[in-house]
Amino acid sequence: MIVSRISRFISDYQNLVALFAGACILISLFGILSLPLAYEENQIYPKAIDRTSALDPYDRGGTPFNTTTVVAQYPENSPYLGYVTAYLTPLSKYLADHTLHAGTTIVSHPGGIIDEILYNTRGLDTVVETSILLSAFAIASYLFRRTE
Amino acid sequence: MLSIGGQDLFVLEFGDILHYFSPYTLTLFLLAVLFTGLAIISRPEEQIEIAFGGDAYYAKETTLPEMRFRRFMAIACGLASIGAMVSGDLFNYTLFTSMVGITNVGIVAAVKNRHVLNAAYAYGIVAMIATLPLFGSAALIVATTGTLSIPALAAGGQAVPLVGKALLVLGVVGEGMAPFYAAKAEMFRAPGAPYVIMCSLSSLLIFLRVVEIVTTI
Repeated sequence: MIVSRISRFISDYQNLVALFAGACILISLFGILSLPLAYEENQIYPKAIDRTSALDPYDRGGTPFNTTTVVAQYPENSPYLGYVTAYLTPLSKYLADHTLHAGTTIVSHPGGIIDEILYNTRGLDTVVETSILLSAFAIASYLFRRTE
Repeated sequence: MLSIGGQDLFVLEFGDILHYFSPYTLTLFLLAVLFTGLAIISRPEEQIEIAFGGDAYYAKETTLPEMRFRRFMAIACGLASIGAMVSGDLFNYTLFTSMVGITNVGIVAAVKNRHVLNAAYAYGIVAMIATLPLFGSAALIVATTGTLSIPALAAGGQAVPLVGKALLVLGVVGEGMAPFYAAKAEMFRAPGAPYVIMCSLSSLLIFLRVVEIVTTI
């Protein structure tokens, strides 16, 4: 009896969204009840915010024109680790040293620890992310341009 | 290390992201490769409907652009499942899984049919909601353990919180819910065949893989 009622409820696909949302609520409640979860201080991809830096909102980590140690899970797989941290041109280095406005020009300064992670140690993630974007745009453009 | 995957046979390195081939993941990988190959070489089915009580019948043609688009989506879905099967990194796995979800939406949505499109819309909502627990679990696990690599999580002493695993399973379930909608919209036969089979197969594969991940980490 109960099984047939459950199967009748699930057989309508409009109800599946509600079912999934209910599962999300239950597990989120379980997650809230299991708080606090301890934060692991020894992070492999650390993020430090230095409010006094001249590059503040977009400080990408590392010291320009110098060697920077980058932590990796498997350093033996990334032999060129730490080579792309010199990420300011001499002009922007001058600007960063003397003004507080160089931090807003993120687009002109690729590099830093963020790019070490994005393009070197975790490069495959970046590839997959762009593939997701490509397929999403392909679907959207196909559906939009489809002739009726 | 409790492992249902068995010993690693081969490890493919992409920097910090390892792809490991154990007997379990290798089997799933070969299945995904096989079905991607089948999706590449197969032609769409042509449906013939017979009008009841008369001699009339009409054939439903699949237009070339629709066939091309669905084949493209099926191949992309197969490639995403291939990646998800052997990925040894939690965030990489969630990315491949969400790509499976998006391409499943594409496969279902390419059929020009009212109730199929309704089903695709409902599935798209679920797949969108499911990215929240999916990426939330990866964020939770990296915050509480400090790493994302599955071998490191399996070997290390850091305890992965139960809620992280639960959210991961929930996210994968949401992304892999496509066969429910495809079956409800009755598209396993002609309207979507044979590319719709990629929905079921990729969902099955990512479910099988998440079981291995949750029991390993």
